[in-house]
Amino acid sequence: MKLIIGGYAQGKLNYALQNYHLTEGAVTDAALPEENNGQTVIIYHFHRWVRACIEQGKQPEELIRDYLSRNPDCIIISDEVGNGIVPLESFEREYRERLGRLLTEIAGQSEEVVRVICGIGQRIK
Amino acid sequence: MLVVVTGGSGSGKSAYAENYIDMAAGNVQKYYIATMQVSGEEGRRKVERHQRMRADRGFLTIEQPVSVEIALQKMKTGKAFALLECMSNLAANEMFGGDCIKPGKEVFQKIINGIEKLQQELTCLVIVTNNVFEDGITYDETTMEYMRVLGAVNRRLADMADEVTEVVAGIPLTIKSGGVR
Repeated sequence: MKLIIGGYAQGKLNYALQNYHLTEGAVTDAALPEENNGQTVIIYHFHRWVRACIEQGKQPEELIRDYLSRNPDCIIISDEVGNGIVPLESFEREYRERLGRLLTEIAGQSEEVVRVICGIGQRIK
Repeated sequence: MLVVVTGGSGSGKSAYAENYIDMAAGNVQKYYIATMQVSGEEGRRKVERHQRMRADRGFLTIEQPVSVEIALQKMKTGKAFALLECMSNLAANEMFGGDCIKPGKEVFQKIINGIEKLQQELTCLVIVTNNVFEDGITYDETTMEYMRVLGAVNRRLADMADEVTEVVAGIPLTIKSGGVR
């Protein structure tokens, strides 16, 4: 399992495709892929999937834990959304807080964590 | 010894700061200076969550939403370690907590004076602050002024600090080092 994080439009997907020698075919956008049978898959825009889950009253924490336990060969790509003024709307606060905690948990389990800025990846784990 | 820990929402900065002080303090008394003013259900849940995380770790909690130097009067004399959380709340309370909004310069100076007094008395002070600066949104002038104050406070604290750490997805990244642990 690998985690790639960074701000909006920083080149995270490109970094992943180049560094892990994958093609667009490996990418699932803002959703959980089918069972991957040992193939490496990229879960792109992970933050959008988390947000949609919360909006629909689902538990993204349980869903992703369950998926990753069966499919550990994942590269998860997510925007970092917590580095701003704490929003006035409670939903926005909950989203940022839950995404941050989930990314922390995934980072803890990942063998590699990369932070991408200006297209350049810093390996922080 | 002054340590500054920064990070975004849900980044794990509190857990890092608590672990840090836990390891460093040993048997020395640990204080938790809480600056958050609790209002509403969400705030109460957040406080309870943090209190659970500190449970059984021997922290004595001091609620100090403004004028942090007063926390010293509530401590026993002698060696002490303290964790102050969070600078973003303290700055907001100092700026917006009175009858009118205080000017940024005044807020900055009051906070820095308070921290200097804490630093003089404590063996080790760990301050948790917040990276609120990277959402690219232009807010109203009052909020921008608050951000400038917090930014200035963070810069001054980092200058005074022995160590500055940014926590990203639970991973501590050293921004400044050189202190003795």
